[in-house]
Amino acid sequence: MRSTAALVWLVLPLAPVCAWSATDLRAVTDKYCTSCHNSEDWAGGLDLGAIDHGHVGNNAAEWEKVVLKLRAGMMPPAGEKRPSARDTQEMVRLLETRLDAAAVPAAAPPALHRLNRAEYANAIRDLFGLHVDVASLLPPDDASEGFDNVASGLSISPSLIQGYTTAAMKLSRLAVGDLTATESTSIYQTPETLAQDQHLEGLPLGSRGGVRIVHYFPLDAEYHFSVRAGFALARSGAAQIDVALDGQRLDVRNQRDFRLPVKAGEHVLTAALFDLQRPAGVNDIYSVYKVEGGIDSVEIGGPFKATGPGDTESRRRIFSCNPAASEEMRHCAEKIVMNLASRAFRGPQRPEDLAVIMQFYERGRAEGGFDAGIQQALSRILIDPRFLFRFGQQAGDLALASRLSFFLWSSIPDQQLVDLAVAGRLHRPEVLATQVKRMLADPRAEALVENFAGQWLYLRELASVTPEVAGFDENLREGFIEETRSLVRWTLAQNRPVTELLNADYTFLNERLARHYGIPNVRGSHFRKVALPADAHRHGLMGHGSVLTITSTATRTSPVLRGAWILGNILGSPPPAPPPGVETNLDGDGSHVLTASVRERLEAHRANPSCASCHAVIDPVGFALENFDAIGAWRERDGDTAVDARGTLVDGTHINGPDDLSTALMARTDLFVTNFTRRLMTYALGRAVDFGDMPAVRTIVQQGARDNYRLGTLVMGVVQSPAFQQGSE
Amino acid sequence: MAHFITRRHISRRAVLRGAGATMALPLLDAMCPAMSAAPTIRPRFGAIYIPHGATMSRWTPVDTGANFTFSEILKPLEPFRAHINVVSQLTHPLAYGPGGATGNHNRSSASFLSGAKAAAGAQPKLGVTVDQVAAKTLGRDTPLPSLELMIEDSSMNCGEGLSCAYRNTLSWQGELAPLPMQNNPQVLFEQLFGDGADPAQRSARRAQSLSLLDSVAEQLRGLDRQLPATDRQRLDQFVTDVREIERRIAQAGERVAGDVPVPAKPNGIPDDVEQHIKLMLDLTALAWQTEITRISTFMLAKELSNAVYPKSGVRDSFHILSHHSNNEDNKARFAVLNRYHIGLLAYFLERLQKTPDGDGTLLDHSLVMYGSGMSDGNSHNHDPLPVVLAGKAGGTLQGNRHLMQPQGTPMSNLLVALLGKLGAESEHFGDSTGRLAI
Repeated sequence: MRSTAALVWLVLPLAPVCAWSATDLRAVTDKYCTSCHNSEDWAGGLDLGAIDHGHVGNNAAEWEKVVLKLRAGMMPPAGEKRPSARDTQEMVRLLETRLDAAAVPAAAPPALHRLNRAEYANAIRDLFGLHVDVASLLPPDDASEGFDNVASGLSISPSLIQGYTTAAMKLSRLAVGDLTATESTSIYQTPETLAQDQHLEGLPLGSRGGVRIVHYFPLDAEYHFSVRAGFALARSGAAQIDVALDGQRLDVRNQRDFRLPVKAGEHVLTAALFDLQRPAGVNDIYSVYKVEGGIDSVEIGGPFKATGPGDTESRRRIFSCNPAASEEMRHCAEKIVMNLASRAFRGPQRPEDLAVIMQFYERGRAEGGFDAGIQQALSRILIDPRFLFRFGQQAGDLALASRLSFFLWSSIPDQQLVDLAVAGRLHRPEVLATQVKRMLADPRAEALVENFAGQWLYLRELASVTPEVAGFDENLREGFIEETRSLVRWTLAQNRPVTELLNADYTFLNERLARHYGIPNVRGSHFRKVALPADAHRHGLMGHGSVLTITSTATRTSPVLRGAWILGNILGSPPPAPPPGVETNLDGDGSHVLTASVRERLEAHRANPSCASCHAVIDPVGFALENFDAIGAWRERDGDTAVDARGTLVDGTHINGPDDLSTALMARTDLFVTNFTRRLMTYALGRAVDFGDMPAVRTIVQQGARDNYRLGTLVMGVVQSPAFQQGSE
Repeated sequence: MAHFITRRHISRRAVLRGAGATMALPLLDAMCPAMSAAPTIRPRFGAIYIPHGATMSRWTPVDTGANFTFSEILKPLEPFRAHINVVSQLTHPLAYGPGGATGNHNRSSASFLSGAKAAAGAQPKLGVTVDQVAAKTLGRDTPLPSLELMIEDSSMNCGEGLSCAYRNTLSWQGELAPLPMQNNPQVLFEQLFGDGADPAQRSARRAQSLSLLDSVAEQLRGLDRQLPATDRQRLDQFVTDVREIERRIAQAGERVAGDVPVPAKPNGIPDDVEQHIKLMLDLTALAWQTEITRISTFMLAKELSNAVYPKSGVRDSFHILSHHSNNEDNKARFAVLNRYHIGLLAYFLERLQKTPDGDGTLLDHSLVMYGSGMSDGNSHNHDPLPVVLAGKAGGTLQGNRHLMQPQGTPMSNLLVALLGKLGAESEHFGDSTGRLAI
């Protein structure tokens, strides 16, 4: 094969790439590609015979596909004759240079960009200091291109408008303090499989199990608390329940049922278990779960005997003035509305822009006084299209401020960003760089962990997986989520190379998770950075229980899902979905124990040629992780067989086990970083990233390479890209 | 956060069967029967979707016509024989297409009620669904034209170049307007019965909502129209929907107080999936009974769902079991799960049957279509689809029949026929080639 390839390349000049001509490129595609990618077979929807080989920019979409496949080593398919690796590399470089030079214009930013649920919730948090569960107020958003902030996927519906209306009214009442609030009961249920035999983070030291609840108390008033325990606990009297509000133990006669005056606002209630007698070895009379030996639920009812709206965080933020006399009211209201609307609408407002909002103030004041007026004005702000939509064609620094804050914080810009934008300084590279740095260091940047990484890595799916593997419980689920979040958070906050996601020799553990991984000397429920011993064989994300569990089925590992996850989310070459009609069930009928390992079953399945064409690429990647079981614990055996973790990467590299996998992936950081940048850009722009953006992506990656692919540099690259800057001067 | 933060759970029993059931709260003014005004019976229509098809050999009855023998899977429906029509050999040709199995899953739920092709790309694009066509007539004079309900959270990972909308909803108001489905019974409850402690408070809040919406609609008129076509369409949709919500609220306000007992407000999403499903069905029945709406769509599970149903007696997760590899034992076990789901339909039908409505029962006046856009979960085909109808649609539909169609009959032909039964006559729907005689 090598010799035939050399022949072709011999006729090509070895001179600088600019000497290459369309004929040379055509010679290569004719030899290696067009037997499938032609007008008849049209493999992959691509006819390479018909596209422009001279001015590649005329067919940038097609050529970018070619580049992607060549870079990943996926084309020509394994088993077909291929140009040599070096020659392929040359060809890729040539195509990329020409595509970059062709400078196909990137698509415009979305012209109309609705806030999604997470952004709405964060905006409410930043406006009023209120933490709302937006899922109970607004309908879910659809994700497109892998993210739920892609503008074209964020549709409008009557239930959305209904949700906005209800939310505007409820939240404005809550923020101002709702004197009309009537008694209602909130019930907080402990998850069924939360083990309560150990200390839980956020609960008092010395306790074992219990619950921690963040509850919003609408008014200064009395509230009724009721703590329900599992039946064994309720009967035995062996454990005591201690309740505390904001860390202060409550001195009430009956800790399971009491009434208490509470100041309006957010408070943390804990109900923790303390064992009165727990002789070693005989504590197994307690089941660890809520149905028996744990706390089952907590109910909070109220308000009763309300005395007023209290001095809440939201009221402090809203009432920037307090009218002493009725003639001061209007002026004060204008000030309040101006303040809040400028924040909510992401830029300074003129008084005439707010006339409609002041009408609502007047109506409310006439009906129920000053506070009611402010409440109605707030409700009008929260349903205003200027709040609910970003209008992408607005030019200038204010648009840039919004784009930045929605990218890095999933929220509205703060005063500093707006001020810089108003002064016309935000777009200056040095100002921008300082701001990006500041924003990434801000706690609000957690939004990138939650929303970007949560979707890119499928981390959000952990909330709904139901592994049927012994040892899995709620504590482990929460630990998995926290571990991966911590790594991403650390990479962001410390500006670490993004490649550490693939090869970190450290991770973040608490005792429960460390035990699961077999890592000694980690005590207690809090998460901390832990250096990984070499024999843990865990390297970055591919050693995380989160990823390993999401890519398993409920009962077993799935090298297919793991391979597909790595190809798609790490290397950026998602494999095609299986064609209709193929059999993908490897689990048999469950009536007898399958003795063949998953590997053997998969290998049998690959004997079928229609499966093999893709699975020959997918599965061998996933095999390398076979030492991790369906919930990410280390294992030496799968069923009756010793684990065989040998695999092959797409480009033919042989690997054996997770150590090799990490090394192999690190050898292809260009693929990983390119994919990472593309995903980050999709998220940052809120639109599909296509061939027109690839030159920008390559520039960011090349710049990133010079700085060891530090995450901050890549984020900065996205922010400085023409697509992100469009509209700003 | 007041009473709408975090996941909280309460058993459905506690909500509907406990003290709440007979609490006979003063009837909320938002939800009173329309009977005082309109004595004529209007049919109710519900579509219930189940993903992944069924073990067809154990679904399709062996004999056809009247007095057919109920198959193993459909057996739980036998008590309602007089109200049942099994329609066999239907297909959705537009559910076939590229993108492998995932594409077929997505197009199954997309085409089910639309008879339309799901477009690829970041912009979800399909076509109006049959429930929304029916809602244009049956939903004009109800506070809510329709309800869109589901059980699971919406999918978030549907791959690049493919919108999750096709998997997350059954109901489309227009080709660019998927209607999100609600899975939280508490939110549904407030949608049905309003927000507020007493009539005075509710009425004040309604007035405030109306003025908010009116003022927004007014403002949007002056807004920059220099937008690309799809965005302009989206903004127009916003205005239309604002007006629609105004209409709904106004209509809710016109109702007079009556005497139907309202259950206590549910507290979040029940832990147990069966309780959750039954609670959503209970609330649907209540919404139909009170004619807060006459139209619902309900997704029991989403395509590719790996839900486990502990009370079905089958431990496998749904999607994985549907890949039965043509192993007879697997197919039998999948049929057990199929039958379990049919049992949930029977639960709903029983509720409808026990609810008096005009001169008969709510079931007499309803038309419930249950089925899947996929036939065999193993081969991802869409031919023949499992479809069963229940209810007499107000007397326009007779029951007790197994209606065998010629092979390859477009399901859209059935949808055209259903529109006729619902008083929303239409020559065509989706990719229909005619009208099924049912």
